[in-house]
Amino acid sequence: MKFQIEDVTVYFPYDYIYPEQYSYMIELKRALDAKGHCLLEMPTGTGKTIALLSLITSYSLSKPQTSIKLIYCTRTVHEMEKTLAELKLLHNYQIKHLGPQARILAIGLSSRKNLCVNPTVLAAENRDSVDAGCRKLTASWVRAMAAENPNVPTCQFFENYERAASAAVLPPGVYTLQDLRVFGKEKGWCPYFLARHMVQFANVVVYSYQYLLDPKVAGIISKEMQKESVVVFDEAHNIDNVCIEALSVSVRRQTLEGATRNLNRISQEIDRFKATDASRLRAEYNRLVEGLALRGNLPITDNWLSNPALPDDILKEAVPGNIRRAEHFLHVLRRLVQYLRGRLDTENVEKESPVSFVASINSHAGIDQKTLKFCYDRLHSLMLTLEITDTDEFLHIQTICDFATLVGTYGRGFSIIIEPFDERMPHIPDPILQLSCHDASLAIKPVFDRFQSVVITSGTLSPIDLYPRLLNFHPVVSRSFTMSLTRDCICPMVLTRGSDQLPVSTKFDMRSDPGVVRNYGKLLLEMVSVVPDGIVCFFVSYSYMDGIINTWNDSGILKEIMQHKLVFIETQDVVETTLALDNYRKACDCGRGAVFFSVARGKVAEGIDFDRHYGRLVIMFGVPFQYTLSKILLARLEYLRDTFQIKEGDFLTFDALRQAAQCVGRVIRSKADYGMMIFADKRYSRHDKRSKLPSWILSHLRDVNLNLSTDMALHIAKEFLRKMAQPYEKIGGSGRKTLLSEEDLEKMGDGGMDEMLY
Amino acid sequence: MASTHVTKRAKYKTTIKDPGTPGTLRMTFEKILFVPHNPKSAGKLDVEFRYIKGQKHTKEGSNKPPWLNLTNNQNGSFIFEFENYSDLQECRDFVGKVLAKGGEVSEKPTVSYPDEQLSAAEMELRIKLLQEDSELQKLHKQFVLSGVLTETEFWATRKKLLDREVSKKTKQRLGFKSAMISDIKPSTDGRTNKVTFNLTPEVILQIFAEKPAVHRAFLSYVPNKMSERTFWTKYFRAEYLHSTKNSIAAAAEAAEDEELAVFLKQDDILASEAQKKIRRVDPTLDMEADEGDDYTHLPDHGIFREGNKEMTESQNELYKRSLSQDINRHAAVVLEGRAVDVELEDTKAVAEALAQSKQKSSNKGESDGDISRERLDRLSRMTEIEDLQGPNTLPLAPLCIKVLDALTNSISNTKYHIGKNPQESVLDRLPRKTKEELLHHWTSILELLKHFWASYPITTTYLYAKVNRLKDAMSNIYPQLEEIKGSVPSELRHQVSLLVRPMHQALDAAIQHYEASMQKRSAQSGERPNGYV
Repeated sequence: MKFQIEDVTVYFPYDYIYPEQYSYMIELKRALDAKGHCLLEMPTGTGKTIALLSLITSYSLSKPQTSIKLIYCTRTVHEMEKTLAELKLLHNYQIKHLGPQARILAIGLSSRKNLCVNPTVLAAENRDSVDAGCRKLTASWVRAMAAENPNVPTCQFFENYERAASAAVLPPGVYTLQDLRVFGKEKGWCPYFLARHMVQFANVVVYSYQYLLDPKVAGIISKEMQKESVVVFDEAHNIDNVCIEALSVSVRRQTLEGATRNLNRISQEIDRFKATDASRLRAEYNRLVEGLALRGNLPITDNWLSNPALPDDILKEAVPGNIRRAEHFLHVLRRLVQYLRGRLDTENVEKESPVSFVASINSHAGIDQKTLKFCYDRLHSLMLTLEITDTDEFLHIQTICDFATLVGTYGRGFSIIIEPFDERMPHIPDPILQLSCHDASLAIKPVFDRFQSVVITSGTLSPIDLYPRLLNFHPVVSRSFTMSLTRDCICPMVLTRGSDQLPVSTKFDMRSDPGVVRNYGKLLLEMVSVVPDGIVCFFVSYSYMDGIINTWNDSGILKEIMQHKLVFIETQDVVETTLALDNYRKACDCGRGAVFFSVARGKVAEGIDFDRHYGRLVIMFGVPFQYTLSKILLARLEYLRDTFQIKEGDFLTFDALRQAAQCVGRVIRSKADYGMMIFADKRYSRHDKRSKLPSWILSHLRDVNLNLSTDMALHIAKEFLRKMAQPYEKIGGSGRKTLLSEEDLEKMGDGGMDEMLY
Repeated sequence: MASTHVTKRAKYKTTIKDPGTPGTLRMTFEKILFVPHNPKSAGKLDVEFRYIKGQKHTKEGSNKPPWLNLTNNQNGSFIFEFENYSDLQECRDFVGKVLAKGGEVSEKPTVSYPDEQLSAAEMELRIKLLQEDSELQKLHKQFVLSGVLTETEFWATRKKLLDREVSKKTKQRLGFKSAMISDIKPSTDGRTNKVTFNLTPEVILQIFAEKPAVHRAFLSYVPNKMSERTFWTKYFRAEYLHSTKNSIAAAAEAAEDEELAVFLKQDDILASEAQKKIRRVDPTLDMEADEGDDYTHLPDHGIFREGNKEMTESQNELYKRSLSQDINRHAAVVLEGRAVDVELEDTKAVAEALAQSKQKSSNKGESDGDISRERLDRLSRMTEIEDLQGPNTLPLAPLCIKVLDALTNSISNTKYHIGKNPQESVLDRLPRKTKEELLHHWTSILELLKHFWASYPITTTYLYAKVNRLKDAMSNIYPQLEEIKGSVPSELRHQVSLLVRPMHQALDAAIQHYEASMQKRSAQSGERPNGYV
């Protein structure tokens, strides 16, 4: 269907549209018109992504004179693929209606690991070794060597791509990662470098958060984006955590040992170069006097993750004299490692601000703040000069330099915490020095500054006024949409008691109570016997899940559960978890039915959908609070209180409830879908906890469902499922329409809209 | 049909308690012949098949011997006891075939429509369906044989049934049990510390399927290197070590005994299979790809010890296997289903059969193209929003008949009450015969109505004739229903009339519609002689 929002003709690839999608588009357009940032909360299962894509592409189609680029950030690769698949659908539709002028180029961008097609490189198992494997074949000096000596291996795909030079372009279209690989294989061009090259020409770029938020990556991938771009952070409820993670580094004993090995290897390389090719080192010295900015002209393959935090003017400065010479820099690093090793040898927990830490480095190791700041780039330059290609071997020294640069750059918003052992395992000495970022706004600030419109959207952004404070920005539009339902297709309940009427909770003093564990087991057992297809269970942590599964196994509850449904479990091993998920879906597809055990805040909770028959019921066992004794968390809470006046308790509850809402929100994909949500903890019945849930869940949480025991919940579940099995009118009953057709939208035209929508 | 006759050794018994006369049973399409071994004994039998009405037989696994009970139309029966179940099965199938054929022969001449060219297979399938479902058979008899519906019409509404039957023609295989094999608990003799495990070939097959490394070890060790007994003893020793969750002890024992170590280590075959499988998973849940993209998961970047990332002990990782892994693996194997279809008797045979079937499936491995297409399909299935799309099925008006729904509701409600509260159920209090009759009328009315309403609007003469036929059949039901009402004791009459009322209503509505449309038609045909016939 196509329709008009003010001056923009919107092309939408379906015959119907939800009213909330329509109002979402209106708000989004307002933000684009105002050239400002916006914050939009819309329930999961109402088609946010397609609404976003179709408005923004239509918006730029209607304004051909300005080239608006869409930068769409997802949290995971599979969400990236899904977004691109939706975009493909939309693009086909637009081509059909507008003809060739609607053509756009849209690409997904990922790491070499996900894009490389060279089988020898791909054989490596993790990302870093794939990166290094690629460098070994494509670094400028390797290729120079190969030009003289045909026995030096190079990458055929990259050579072809280079040879094709400016002819190597992607024709317009929408390319998922898979499409890129297929295209690359067909043409014989390297898809990774092709995609990186095409980023500057593409109308839509889809990539992961890190490419924009992590300064190390953002520097090389995202520097060529123009200001007019629209940046979208989808599923952004955890964006503050991504931001602080991007700027946090920790140093452990293994890191220091590895770094020492790295330094020895670098020292050998320096000696070798001195003996054979001393001029290179001299040339580097001269370059460093000129300043680091020259680095910008490096060949594309030699580029790597750039400096984590340096503002542009520093890049033009000359590198401090004491680290210009390779040997001197090496000495500085050795002293730094030595100093850090001394700090790790502590028996008590220590907490320090970066300023005093830098002062202490200066007095004990004689390294000043400016030198620290340059460490990361200086190391990079040195490794290039020394023609080191196996970069994956040098991760430890990179970590140290990363740490030095961050600690030398930021005076506030961070703290350094040294812990001699993990509090939960005090008998195992495992000292760790953590530089942890508390201020999410630091990492995202450049994004807000650089781009005209930044859209932050998710199904869970409640309370919506907290995010602007955490991220320190001023949205021009900030709205939370509710869901207009054709029928009551979600059924949230709060279960406070087991069938024996004893309270259930994962509160610290209750969680290991055998009665609670048994009641949780009985709850699941009852549910598997009445709920069809898939059930998802979320636990508060891996260790809790492991414990409870073992107990259920010993007591035989697990066996009884297996009589009804197959059981799959999320583990810390991604491959295993992915396969378990795949099998889970197969089991739901073939009608066998299955239960999936997962962890709140885990990878599955972050990005996997359990829509339709893949999830008819979610059980959230407990309230997923963070580990409140964590020193880092305490430091962050203190910072939040002092800087933003956010109370500790409020933040913790907000954080736990957004995770819980995130977990249960994964069951709904559209209004034709239906699902139940059980919050199994007595604490959810308290108003201060419950009220932090997003409004679209709260509005369906009836008062009678606030204090249930297992048998009552079972009864409600049966009733609900029976109701959902009845045929219903898709368009919505009398009065409010929940599905709008093109005519409806035309009729609404002016004025009539409000009465239909609200 | 494969053979025209069956000959088996059997005992003929006149009653169940009768010890039986040993002899030979010979069955052809026409008759059943039993000749005792001892020519002097009296049990000689010569019956024509057309007198045989039905058959009953004992089930394998029940503690009864293999008996076949043939009932004739005078309610007499002939019981044969076979030597084993496979003989019984063969005879049973044969009798089934002949009985079905008999029915077919009698119906063919009554209704034969030239537009239907049925293959033998289709015919056979229909017969099989009728045999399996007695209710269906009754309906078929009632309407098709009496000429109310044609054979084609009868089956046209059951196309789905036919299709489904065709697609699953192969026999359904038994899957694995849902319970974990780790549940096999040893039995102790109570005096010593010795434990005994009871292994069946079934369990062994499951162990092999779930743990390919154990399977491989079995193939290479037994019987050359060790006896089967030692093999399993070692296996359970390893399982015991796992269950103690003492990875240090496990590591120590593994260091001493290399065969034991095989059981304790992570399964390397599984790991490599996982690598293969991961390439074909649904891209919308491929979390492994994230790992390769996520720059915050550089070592030592991001936040540790925050509470949500937990530490794992890295030492002795090699010998650690979690319950979660076992459960996942078990569920995956159950889902894959049983690959082997051999008689489970000999473990060696089981092991080899499994190896062969694996070989086959790996040879079959699909090409890259297939995989990527499959992945794309799944991706697009995951992205579309179903209810925003316009109707994408063929323009087919859904059959929505209020009366029919009401009828279905009332009967299913009554049925539902049975499940809920057996004491109060109406149907249960009725005499068995009445209950069955009522239910039968209900299904036959449904069948008739379905055809009746589906014939409107009447566009051809054929439909016209059909509606007339249906109407007649429906009016015949009224007196039958009255008869039922009359036959029950007076205290139940009210209940029965409650049950009958919706049937009446449905029939009334149909007949009313019929008459109204007939009137309209006669009025129309006056004006438009060239209209509908």
